[in-house]
Amino acid sequence: MYATNYKKASSVADAAKAIAGADEGKLLAGGMTLLPTLKQRLASSDCLVDLADCGINGISDEGSALRIGAMTRHVEVETSDLVAKAIPALAQLAGGIGDRQVRNRGTIGGSVANNDPAACYPSAVLALGGTVHTSKRDVAAEDFFVDMFETALDDDEIIEAVSLPKPEAAAYVKFPNPASRYAMVGVFVARFADGVRVAVTGAGQNGVFRHKGLEDALSSNFSPDAVDGVSISGDELMTDIHASADYRAHLIAEMTRRAVSAC
Amino acid sequence: MEMNESHDLPVPIDDVWAALNDVDVLKNAIPGCQELTQESETELAAVVKLKIGPVSATFKGNVELSEMNPPHSYVISGSGNGGVAGGATGSASVQLMSIDDGNGTRLSYEVSASVNGKIAQLGSRLIDSTAKKLATKFFDNFIAELTPES
Repeated sequence: MYATNYKKASSVADAAKAIAGADEGKLLAGGMTLLPTLKQRLASSDCLVDLADCGINGISDEGSALRIGAMTRHVEVETSDLVAKAIPALAQLAGGIGDRQVRNRGTIGGSVANNDPAACYPSAVLALGGTVHTSKRDVAAEDFFVDMFETALDDDEIIEAVSLPKPEAAAYVKFPNPASRYAMVGVFVARFADGVRVAVTGAGQNGVFRHKGLEDALSSNFSPDAVDGVSISGDELMTDIHASADYRAHLIAEMTRRAVSAC
Repeated sequence: MEMNESHDLPVPIDDVWAALNDVDVLKNAIPGCQELTQESETELAAVVKLKIGPVSATFKGNVELSEMNPPHSYVISGSGNGGVAGGATGSASVQLMSIDDGNGTRLSYEVSASVNGKIAQLGSRLIDSTAKKLATKFFDNFIAELTPES
């Protein structure tokens, strides 16, 4: 790791100021992506701004939605009574991220801001129709996830919390890479009164996406069989050493069936 | 990584050919290109800064134009060294065909690229999609340079 400076910000405003004042400042949330990258010298920063003491952690029940502070660790979501009662699929998703060490440090804000195309949280935020609350504005999930590793965030914008509407039923099933546990394909299915939303991660070349064919089929018939008639194209899906686009298309169908069964 | 695409442009073939050989156009087209200097008629030196997610690296490299068959085709190839991060090599075989009675051009390209070193090792799951995005961005930028009104 190249030599760097470290600052523990006392508030979001303090953090924004510190980032603006540095040449190549980087916000430090859980550090589970940032620190290994820095250690491998695949990036460098002249100032790491730690968000741990900015008061943006914690989970609260807002009635029709859960509000989760950006610095809430995965293990907190995994073990929270509030989450277990309101959106158990979310607790299960959090409990499947990486490994125990990653879950002790990694945060929902970091995951959402990074928008790794194989990360789990973006599929939950998109399927639940969540809202990302930043230091500048509120952004709907539809507008937030732009492309692989790209979000609507400005360079000096900091996520403070994510609110997630409570569904009637939901489930998340992923087919993890056995080594990294990243989703080769992960599908989050959420049923609301006005229809079903299906968000897929791990598969798209542009990051997380909703699948209209699956949503329409499941909105009229919420059963695993409804998936059989849906055509899922391999175009725009990723091919890599782990799986071809066509295999990912097949996995999307299968993970969706399992998620619907688990709802 | 291999890919091929084709675009129809409302620009005559000679203008497209000229742009493909123009240092300023190429500099604006190459994603993250900070410097592009002409060393000879067919050789250029480049400094490209790329940021993909958490990874950012500066690549120093060479771009070479070869197999020149004006105004129909050439091969543009390059290789870059990103220091400890690793490096990349790639080439695109570009074909131009006059269409629309000479008012337009069909631009087709076949790209092949490979990445080596640490970025390839640690980022293998994302190499193909990232390389494709960058190649697509290059040609999208190039086309935008040529057709500013559209």
